[in-house]
Amino acid sequence: MNEILAIAIAAGLSWLNFVIIDTWMGLPEAPGVKGADVIGRAVKKRGGDLAGGFFQGNIVCSPDASAGTLLASAACYTIGTPEGGLIAAALVYFGNRLCADPGYAGTTGALTITVIIYLASFIGIGPEYFVVGMVLAIVTIQGLHHPLASKLLGKIAKKMGRYTELT
Amino acid sequence: MIIHANVILISSYAVAVISSIVVGLLLRIPVLPERPMRQSWTISIVFPTAVLALGFSAIVFKLGIDGLLVAAIIGIITALFSKYLLERILPEPVMEES
Repeated sequence: MNEILAIAIAAGLSWLNFVIIDTWMGLPEAPGVKGADVIGRAVKKRGGDLAGGFFQGNIVCSPDASAGTLLASAACYTIGTPEGGLIAAALVYFGNRLCADPGYAGTTGALTITVIIYLASFIGIGPEYFVVGMVLAIVTIQGLHHPLASKLLGKIAKKMGRYTELT
Repeated sequence: MIIHANVILISSYAVAVISSIVVGLLLRIPVLPERPMRQSWTISIVFPTAVLALGFSAIVFKLGIDGLLVAAIIGIITALFSKYLLERILPEPVMEES
């Protein structure tokens, strides 16, 4: 498969994987730690959405599905599929607990991307494309324009019934 | 031959998970966290015991130690770890009132 196309598909799948799982696990609902609260309110002050800001703050402050996706992709590349993904899921869980997070989002994200990587390997998209794809996916959320990205995350949170009740 | 190896490997993971579940039930670890699960810190059989059993199995198998007996032992150790050590090593954080 064409490399650029493979990276684009991997980026899309990684983006959907971590955004859907993180939203489902309630990242936009409330900040898990004070740092996430500060980031969420700073994003809102700059014209963004509070729930989306909490989402962005939470993924900065603890390894959620975004970190799970990236670590599982890297581990599948270096160790193999599915062993790498399973090891990454266990390690992400310990990382989560260290960061005052119960660990559902990160662990689930690592496990689901391992299944996705396994299935994608049948059409020639290996784990190395998911490493690059996940970096690109996280850039769209954390690296381009925080207020705009937070508004999109806020809309997704509303659709999934996970919008914050905080003001 | 490859198919045979995969069957053994998949069976080993299954044995690790099943033995962790059985020992977890004997140790009276809750099957599921209380609802809403995403906010629960309760250590249960489904999460994280079964997930840790898979992760620990993958580490040990990759180190070259494999087999169904090894998998069963990993499951037992994981359940004991979840019941007696996990909460001590990585406790639920105490949130200060603001």
